[in-house]
Amino acid sequence: MKHSVNRPPTPDGVVDQGKEPTLQEIINIKLIESGEKERLMELLRERLIECGWKDEMKALCRAYIKKKGRNNVTVDDLVHLITPKGRASIPDSIKAELLQRIRSFLVSTAL
Amino acid sequence: MSAPNEDNTQLSSHFFGDLLDSIIVDVASECHRIAKVGLDRNLEEEEEELRLSAQARASVADPSNSGEANNKYVVDIFGQTHPPVANEIFKCMNCGRSIAAGRFAPHLEKCMGKGRKARLKVTRSSTAAQNQYSRGSPVSTYSSYTNSTSTSRLSNGTPGFAGEEYSNGTYEGEP
Repeated sequence: MKHSVNRPPTPDGVVDQGKEPTLQEIINIKLIESGEKERLMELLRERLIECGWKDEMKALCRAYIKKKGRNNVTVDDLVHLITPKGRASIPDSIKAELLQRIRSFLVSTAL
Repeated sequence: MSAPNEDNTQLSSHFFGDLLDSIIVDVASECHRIAKVGLDRNLEEEEEELRLSAQARASVADPSNSGEANNKYVVDIFGQTHPPVANEIFKCMNCGRSIAAGRFAPHLEKCMGKGRKARLKVTRSSTAAQNQYSRGSPVSTYSSYTNSTSTSRLSNGTPGFAGEEYSNGTYEGEP
């Protein structure tokens, strides 16, 4: 494992965190450091644009903004608006493709 | 390892959700930015039109007609004055919105002319028509149509290749 993952605790009086980074954190770091997270994100973005998901979400945002008035809307509002519908309307094929890729990455890092 | 497949599946879902959340935030902030900076022309124009329509209607309803600096009233020979902005409200045949008559022309200009989507719609159908007229060979449907009309024209007494009657000379290139 890379040294950057298991650093000794910083000597500035912070209470020793004690535990090791969780498995999730370790994998997250590996994903980022290997560049795979970026690739996965680009792949997902591309697929979502192709299937029109992004346009649907943008339309939802625009309708909401028109209703509320463009100066009364925050990014937070929009995120809360889109998140449930966005998560629910992901096409199964795209979800399966991404999950497969992530799974092979997990396996290949031989945990 | 206990049930590695389960762990893997759960982890994969977690990371997928992570990626998805990031993308959702991206989309939301993009929409927010477009709305705030005013890049979404449609949004702005609609607000503008609604405002001007309302303004026009208000200035018409206002009974104090004389002495306003921005009202140029012309008195016609019957002594009638016409308001600067026509007050009737019509429905646009293109987009279906209610527009005041005095704002109708600028609205149509934006609705049919300048808007990106409007222009795309128009050019797509007009370039399709133009392609058929300017190139004789590749469009087989066109040539079959002209064949049928040329046979009906033979009755005019022009024998043989009636295709040469067509003013666009490209037809002669027809194999």
